[in-house]
Amino acid sequence: MFHHTPLRYAALVLLASGALFQAFTAQYFGLEILTEILILAMLVLALDMVAGFGGMVSLCHGALMGVGAYGYAVLSTTAGLTPPVAMAAAVGITAGISWVIGAICSRSHGIYFIMATLAFGQMAYSYVFEAPIFGGDDGLGGIERLDLSAVGIDLNDTRTFALFCLVALAAIYGLAVMVLRSGLGRSFSGVMHNEQRMRALGLTVWRVKADVFGLSGMIAGFAGVLAAQHIMYISPGLMAWTVSGEALVVVILGGLGTLVGPLVGAAVFVVLKHELSSLTTYWHLIVGVILIGVVMSRANGIFGFIEDYFAARSKAAVATPKATEVTKDA
Amino acid sequence: MTTDLGFWTLQALNALQLSMLLFLLSVGLTVIFGLMHFVNLAHGALYALGAYFAASVAAVWGYWAAFLLAPVAVAGVGVLLYSGFIQRMRKSGPMAQVLVTFGLIFVLLDMTRIIWGDLPLAIEVPAMLGGRLAFLGVEYPTYRLFIIVLGLVVLAGLAFVLGRTQIGAMIRAGVDNDEMAACLGINVERLFFCVFCVGCALAGLAGAVAAPLLSVSPDMGLQILIPTLIVIVIGGLGSLKGAVAGSLIYGFVQTFGAVLAPQLSSVLIYALLAAVLVIKPVGLFPAKG
Repeated sequence: MFHHTPLRYAALVLLASGALFQAFTAQYFGLEILTEILILAMLVLALDMVAGFGGMVSLCHGALMGVGAYGYAVLSTTAGLTPPVAMAAAVGITAGISWVIGAICSRSHGIYFIMATLAFGQMAYSYVFEAPIFGGDDGLGGIERLDLSAVGIDLNDTRTFALFCLVALAAIYGLAVMVLRSGLGRSFSGVMHNEQRMRALGLTVWRVKADVFGLSGMIAGFAGVLAAQHIMYISPGLMAWTVSGEALVVVILGGLGTLVGPLVGAAVFVVLKHELSSLTTYWHLIVGVILIGVVMSRANGIFGFIEDYFAARSKAAVATPKATEVTKDA
Repeated sequence: MTTDLGFWTLQALNALQLSMLLFLLSVGLTVIFGLMHFVNLAHGALYALGAYFAASVAAVWGYWAAFLLAPVAVAGVGVLLYSGFIQRMRKSGPMAQVLVTFGLIFVLLDMTRIIWGDLPLAIEVPAMLGGRLAFLGVEYPTYRLFIIVLGLVVLAGLAFVLGRTQIGAMIRAGVDNDEMAACLGINVERLFFCVFCVGCALAGLAGAVAAPLLSVSPDMGLQILIPTLIVIVIGGLGSLKGAVAGSLIYGFVQTFGAVLAPQLSSVLIYALLAAVLVIKPVGLFPAKG
């Protein structure tokens, strides 16, 4: 089960104050990067929920984000719904689709689960790529942002939109923590540690998996809606499997199953990407080397490494955070 | 057009040619997985490397030298990967393996861009295999027929080695139960290493063979990766029969789907994969029950 340690609180405070500082002082370009980080952070939070706490390593979260983005774009432009209704509908549709995917894939494990989710993601990608109502490979433009002028907030302002995303991310983080601490979330972790035992306890395993996967998809869909509103233009490239792969990379770089780690990962990844791509066009090479280094070092990402370091320094009986999690669950 | 027999023959040959290319790639990947339980996402990158080596060698010594040298060179890269990363990742879970090889994709992709540049390279079809051949009442490019024949030869060779020789029996024993095989005095580690190299060489061969058909570009490895994974997951990991069945299913569904139902073709194969995974979560012919 997920629980906050002082270190995690400290990291959250640090991240939040960094984001706030950036939101109030940065210029246009800095704000764009901040918004990109915040949206990516929502996506990886959704992925960490299922991958880190239920062992469901999904390669379709990028596509789910795309479903949210396309759902919002089509509903708000072609179907002519007002932005709040379109937002809610898009998030709802994504949640429904991901619940179905989660239910279908709940019987698969390990590499087969990865492949099955990849298949669903690619299915959505190739459909959108060819379907005329989604604009095909041209993408869709002219997407409007949410209109909050009734309460005196203008989201078309870059700074305001970044702050809006920050508030949304905080709310989503709270939601993720709530879900993981609920009975559902505890059963979900139980299923990861021992599926047979949970079944013997009378749990309907596939329902638990599908429910959490649906909630995670809902968050990914919301991230997609915000991404569509942020760039105001979407293309099928948003749904390609490499987006899901990158999201997984961010989760691993940050620290799987720590919820705070992926937030750190998202910030590091986006900043690294922008810094490196201004230096060299071969930034994938460097990201690849870092990824290999992190995975082969056997540390649980950047944040996991810091947690391990502090756990080893303090005189706690349990050496690693992983061990703590297991004993607390048992 | 659909009543014309020649049309069906032509499409069937196209499908077979695609299937054989995918077979060359997927058989290495699937046996590596079956034997080592190792998920090598970088297999597609090795195929791209094969194509690049072939393009470079063909520019100097002609196509046939490339055809022979590219698999050897890719097997050499395989040796480096094995001793550098894969040996150390053997005991880690599938997740760590997927990520390390995902990182390798990034690295290999950018290395090819640094060495060979961003522009696609082209290589000529060898003179001997140029032109068209009248075959079963249709004119078909000789080079594509060559790919089909090559695929069938490799298939026959692998079927013979795996089914009839002692080394094949050792490999099958290793796939079935590696600990038991080790107890019976088989050096499973060395066997793994050899199979891995052969798999890499086959990926290089596929790259060299595909190079004259497609243009050689840095992202060709990424493009072929998903079809290859679909093939081995539909077929079931670890078995030769599965790789054959998966390649044929993919080749025929993809080719005939594109001709008969163009608006559905791209979704069709993924829907098929999802259906297979729902009905048989471990694929059609898994090596282990």
